[in-house]
Amino acid sequence: MTAWRGPARRRPRPPSRGGARWATIGSLAVVALVAWWLRADPDDARGAATVTALPAALPSESTTLSAAPASSATGASTVPLRPLSPLGEAQRREQLALWQARLARARSALEAYQTAARYPHESRPIEEHPDQVHPFEPVAEDRPLRMPGGSVTQGVHLRTTQERLFASGAEASRITLTLHDDAGRPLPLRIVRAVMKEVTPPGRTATTAEYRMPVNDSGEQGDAVAGDGIFTAVMQPATQGFGAFAGTVRLEMHLDYAGQPGFIYFDLNYSPELAATWIPGIREALVNGSLELYAKAQVRMPGRYVVSGRVDDARGKPIALVQFNGEVGAGPVEFRLPVFGRLVHDARPAFPLTLRDVEAFLLKPDTFPDRVMLPRLAGAVHTTRSYALTAFSPAEWSSEERDRYLAELGKDVSEAEAQVTRLGP
Amino acid sequence: MIRRSIARALLVATLCIAGLTAVVSHATNYTLWINGRGGGGQVGNHADFTYWGPATTAAGINKKAVNWDGYNRIATTNGNIRDALDCYCTGTNWCYVAAHSAGNLQIGYALAMYGTSARYKKNATPNSAGQCGNTDGTTQTGWNIKWVDIAGGAGGGSELADSGDWLLTEPLVSDLKTSTARALYNHNSTTGKWFYMYAGAAGTLYSFVLPGQDDEAIAYHSSGGVSGSSGASFCNPSDWFCNDLKLGTAANEGGRAKWSYHSVAFRDDTEALNHYTKGNWGGIVSKVRADMATNAK
Repeated sequence: MTAWRGPARRRPRPPSRGGARWATIGSLAVVALVAWWLRADPDDARGAATVTALPAALPSESTTLSAAPASSATGASTVPLRPLSPLGEAQRREQLALWQARLARARSALEAYQTAARYPHESRPIEEHPDQVHPFEPVAEDRPLRMPGGSVTQGVHLRTTQERLFASGAEASRITLTLHDDAGRPLPLRIVRAVMKEVTPPGRTATTAEYRMPVNDSGEQGDAVAGDGIFTAVMQPATQGFGAFAGTVRLEMHLDYAGQPGFIYFDLNYSPELAATWIPGIREALVNGSLELYAKAQVRMPGRYVVSGRVDDARGKPIALVQFNGEVGAGPVEFRLPVFGRLVHDARPAFPLTLRDVEAFLLKPDTFPDRVMLPRLAGAVHTTRSYALTAFSPAEWSSEERDRYLAELGKDVSEAEAQVTRLGP
Repeated sequence: MIRRSIARALLVATLCIAGLTAVVSHATNYTLWINGRGGGGQVGNHADFTYWGPATTAAGINKKAVNWDGYNRIATTNGNIRDALDCYCTGTNWCYVAAHSAGNLQIGYALAMYGTSARYKKNATPNSAGQCGNTDGTTQTGWNIKWVDIAGGAGGGSELADSGDWLLTEPLVSDLKTSTARALYNHNSTTGKWFYMYAGAAGTLYSFVLPGQDDEAIAYHSSGGVSGSSGASFCNPSDWFCNDLKLGTAANEGGRAKWSYHSVAFRDDTEALNHYTKGNWGGIVSKVRADMATNAK
């Protein structure tokens, strides 16, 4: 177990005797230089004080409030600050309030990171990702019926769903829309015009022809139930003339309700490329007290892949979001999705666990579209073996990154605590 | 004797230079400001605060303007933000980050997509393109960021993009569509950094389009960091007919959670602050600027 020891215990080593004199000379020169530099910077701590409207005639906090010689930032001066003039006392209180606020902020940052750093980035409790539990549910939205720049038709709501916002290859995105009143009763909706077209970057001309999109409530072409007031359209760029296009494909709809016009559009970010294909089967292994699940793929396009999956326990309770974010080469690869040992200890799931709803894409930096999706692995993908809790390590995550953060954020807390002590009560 | 004196003098000079180098390369804190839609500052020029207001205004220690064009897609412009994070937030240097409007999407995207990647440690001396040189050729995991302040955050998009009120041919507007903004990346993945959300409510012009309270461009569901794949109505407590946007990290009235590591630090209960800086750190940005000036040190 890697327990956080706290940066306050870290003390700088005293300089060696032989170098002390020269270090002092160097330090004095540096201090003078830095002091000169800081005076020229409007954004140093005193700069901040100026915007809080401290009287301009007052000296800076260090000279007003501390009669002590310059001390280290984290070392609280034990020299009493009082007696102070009424003005000085008022300023002391102001500075105290300032440092108390900074202390609260520093503690908050430290505590958040401590909480986060119990587990590695790639293995997180699912409660931390409330909108990632069911990633393949359609996006449902409620919107007013209106034209751009126009007024809203009162008492009328347009309810829409969209199956997905990113697609690759032959993937499709099902769109539904229905009109209803304030009480939720369906209202008659007319689709005046529905056109799918590429969103052409400024300065370029379209490379594809517009596609007249069938939208129906007849129980056909993707529509679930005829005559239920829910209209359906299916965006499938590969079969609708956009098979060679990479970018945003937009479905624009002009609507009408009792003579009131409306406009709505749906975007699908599309890439025709094939980045990788899944290789069936998940490999699992208990490694260093964590359960590692390996999703296998045949990679055609090397680069950074972002993969995520959900892990439920035997009772169907979601417990973890497991992720991979890293660069891989072409060829067969395994994306490692770890269920961290400490997380298992904290969640106490019923075994076996189930990996479900895996989504993945190739992330392409500095370009659009920025991703090439792999086919969704919807539903249960893999059920693990059963393990005893003792098979898992209770240790918290350990890494250079974590040490770096805890040291720095802990230093900030120590510094603020020292200042509060110096200025208080 | 003379040789010994010269040697000693050289040693002194060397130590002074070494000491100076140690101090200069020693932990320096920076405050990065990431603009929103519209841009205006010269991309790559970290001293150009045109988007925000006078550069002489205090806005956090060693402030830098992370300018991007505020027009093109997040994906194609995010390199500007990653360059700045590499410059100032690696090695021994640490950052505070402030962002406005679509700048929320920029820092969120950078952290969620690249926040766990290996980054070269940089020397905080940018060239004209806003890119810095390596220090020792080594890398670290992610960036050194203490916390993030967001003013009028567009992480959840804007209904003004949904409805076609904003120019639909503008590439960034496509990313600001609520469904797209919310699906662009996992907003909970901040790698453990706090996002302090500042939400303005002085909007009136588009109240019939923007649900709940808004700052005239962004509704509370976005500026308050409310999780989910779509927007919804959230208001100040004085509005009895609409769910409250709760301060802090608590779930909002009605039960909808905030994104993890997102905390509402300011809710505009007096409906005084709109979305716009007005070239003088104005609107909801004024609150973030004050917080940065006080706490980014």
